[in-house]
Amino acid sequence: MLRLSPNLVPMLVVALVVLVLYWPLMYLANIPAAQRALDTGAVLPCKTALECATQLRSPVLPSPQQLWQGFGNLMFPLNSQSAIPLNAAVTALETLVGLLLAAMLGFFFAIGMVASRAFERSLLPWIVASQTVPIIAIAPMLVVVLGQYGVQGWLPKAIIAAYIAFFPITIGVAKGLKSPDPLSLDLMKTYNASSWQTYLKLRFPASVPYLFTAFKVAMTAALIGAIVAEISTISFQGIGKMLAENSRASDVVAMWVIMLSSAALGILLVALVNWVEHLATPWRRVPQREGGGR
Amino acid sequence: MLPPRLARPSALWGWALLLVGFALLLWFIAAWWHQLEPASQGHKLLLVLGGLLALLGLGRVAQQFAHTPNPLVGFTPAALTLLLILILAEAWLRAYQVPPGLIPTPSRVLSTLLAVRDVLLRDAFQTVVLEALIGYLIGCSLGVITALLVSRYVFLERGLLPYATIFSSIPIVALAPVLVKMMGIDWPSKAAIVAITVFFPMVVNTFRGLTEVSPLSLDLMRSYAAGELQQYRWLRLPNALPFIFNALKLGTTLAMIGAIVGEFFGANGQGLGFRIQIEAGRFGFDIVWSAIIVASLVGIAWYNLVAWIERRLTGWHVSYR
Amino acid sequence: MVFPNGTVALKEANLEIAQGEFISLIGPSGCGKTTLLRLLADLIQPSAGSIRIGGKTPEEARKSRAYGYVFQAPTLMEWRTVLQNVMLPLEVMGVPKAEHKPRAERMLALVGLGKFARHYPWQLSGGMQQRVSIARALAFDPQLLFMDEPFGALDEITRENLNLELLRLWRETGKTIIFVTHSIPEAVFLSTRIVVMTPRPGKIETVIPVDLPQPRNFETRETTRFFEIATLVREALRKGHGFEVSE
Repeated sequence: MLRLSPNLVPMLVVALVVLVLYWPLMYLANIPAAQRALDTGAVLPCKTALECATQLRSPVLPSPQQLWQGFGNLMFPLNSQSAIPLNAAVTALETLVGLLLAAMLGFFFAIGMVASRAFERSLLPWIVASQTVPIIAIAPMLVVVLGQYGVQGWLPKAIIAAYIAFFPITIGVAKGLKSPDPLSLDLMKTYNASSWQTYLKLRFPASVPYLFTAFKVAMTAALIGAIVAEISTISFQGIGKMLAENSRASDVVAMWVIMLSSAALGILLVALVNWVEHLATPWRRVPQREGGGR
Repeated sequence: MLPPRLARPSALWGWALLLVGFALLLWFIAAWWHQLEPASQGHKLLLVLGGLLALLGLGRVAQQFAHTPNPLVGFTPAALTLLLILILAEAWLRAYQVPPGLIPTPSRVLSTLLAVRDVLLRDAFQTVVLEALIGYLIGCSLGVITALLVSRYVFLERGLLPYATIFSSIPIVALAPVLVKMMGIDWPSKAAIVAITVFFPMVVNTFRGLTEVSPLSLDLMRSYAAGELQQYRWLRLPNALPFIFNALKLGTTLAMIGAIVGEFFGANGQGLGFRIQIEAGRFGFDIVWSAIIVASLVGIAWYNLVAWIERRLTGWHVSYR
Repeated sequence: MVFPNGTVALKEANLEIAQGEFISLIGPSGCGKTTLLRLLADLIQPSAGSIRIGGKTPEEARKSRAYGYVFQAPTLMEWRTVLQNVMLPLEVMGVPKAEHKPRAERMLALVGLGKFARHYPWQLSGGMQQRVSIARALAFDPQLLFMDEPFGALDEITRENLNLELLRLWRETGKTIIFVTHSIPEAVFLSTRIVVMTPRPGKIETVIPVDLPQPRNFETRETTRFFEIATLVREALRKGHGFEVSE
């Protein structure tokens, strides 16, 4: 974290400015709604629109106090079925299992593409095309179909997460497997290395950085996939279930809290990838100075 | 005219195997067109045989195209693969009589697509033009402007850029319901979701393009006594163009995803995402597939449009040499 | 042994190379010197004709791991430490595991990099990286060493130091070295014989023996004989195709 230190002060200043601006913005957005609520004669514990702006049941922008209370309500007790920690853990598990499945599939396809031009020619156009397609659209249907065949619980969510994360990983690994320069391949040839040895000693290690770059993209994609899958079915656990529930109940404050929590979850998961990458690629632990021509 | 390599015996064998396989599968589909009960074991074995023959043939045919430079001819194996998958799916679903409410056959999807095309076109207009395109344009332009400011002021770079990187790891689905609640179920809420999703990658990419300029080029500009504005005009912006286009291409996909996912949380009775959500809920999977096909076609067309503009504007870049 | 008295044939030219010789292939870009080396190493196959190395085809020589190859670039694997890079051929060739480390350490000491065993390649300068790649080529103790412009990308001062070091290595190990270069002084300083090649079509113009006494050192470069041989090489290159060779 030492690396961030020159950014720390500016980041804090920006955060402070956003916070300071949030208050007037919140009043500006909520006062008309509060006025309408007062006009309809709703029973409110407040007299003026200004006062009510921070206490609306469904505010346009929730006030910081409301968010704080919302966090208190949704975070505790930690092991409650309706609290965020447990549900976030379930979603995270689905995402991670999905990512693992996707990595296995991705390696399989990537090796196929690197080993056989025919395989690549037959499949790559579709894998690339699928990158430009909103794959997420298939998720709701996939959940229902999988459910019909008895795949239920957290597994179908993980499968959908895998399905969505699979494409960036395949492309990334294929790129990585192809990344060794021709001279390194020649070197292995002068050793009379078998193609298995070339994969083991050269292509796999060379693909590791690419794998992690792909993982970072795929992690977010897999998380989105898992949440959408949870929303699209009758789920009993998960962030997606909480989102769907509160969206139906129009609990705006809770939705904000869940949004912030899932943002934190996304950041956490990507940070996890960064951490594993740091452990797995000791040779890249470079105190490199930031590049860029400034 | 056939390329000379097609005359090679192994290639001919490949084509022959492929044709026999296809013929077997198609014959079965034709025979089973009006049947209502599952096929016999013998028929299923025949299907497996047909599939295997076609697959073997495809492998051999694809070998022949492995080093074709012409992209259109080189696409043949991929086209054959898609055709094989569709025919196999059709035959398989018919052989096992999978209820069309669960997995519709490709032919059924195709006829549904034609039947409901008016509805889907209206959905696509709502999703693509009103939501995705407007959000995309707003988000991308704001992204470029922000990147210009961030690249100019070191304080903004340090204070804002780390957030942009962090924000790209946030799942947009969580943002969608909040924005829909805030801005209503009409298209502006979805356009806002799209704008936010395309904004951050645009800032990060454009910033890199504006700042990853070779120090020698900067020295050159300095030797011309170029002002800051001229430096941007003649060096930084052209240098950033490939980066901007990368973000624009990535943005097309993100925009479609954002619009569709946004509609999952509330729409005014129109839109591809809304259609998918509703029909998946009541097992209308032929319509779901049709909507997905429309969304995919739009996504591919949009991406290629941007890629085409990119080639026109940045033909000098290494990646096209 | 693999290379007791091998014969290298290119077109009509026959070249007898005795064990322990240091042969330089010199010529302008495009004269096929790298191609010739890659043919010998079985990295590419000849479209016509045949090549023999000590009675073996290049493929047989490669499969019996008869030679080490040093490329223009160090081609070190960035995820391996310097020591692990030198151990790479031993791992691939299935040398007993217990021998890996001591042998690699000995090779690193030989090229003067014993202290850098635990470093990663990016922590080394270009010249040091190229020394690691030489250690790697020597690690499995091949009789024959192919070197393809190994110092071409280095600055003149580093290059002269490495030339000296290479000569020392060659004396100490008794390897046969075939060395591709486009630098006349380098060829004269290092070689026992210089093979001058000319382009279009790539062929051997002439073979010039270098009778400078061993061991050679920095003073060798100042002797009259050194300049005489350099002039011979320059003239042979000029005769081949009628344009000036930049050195």
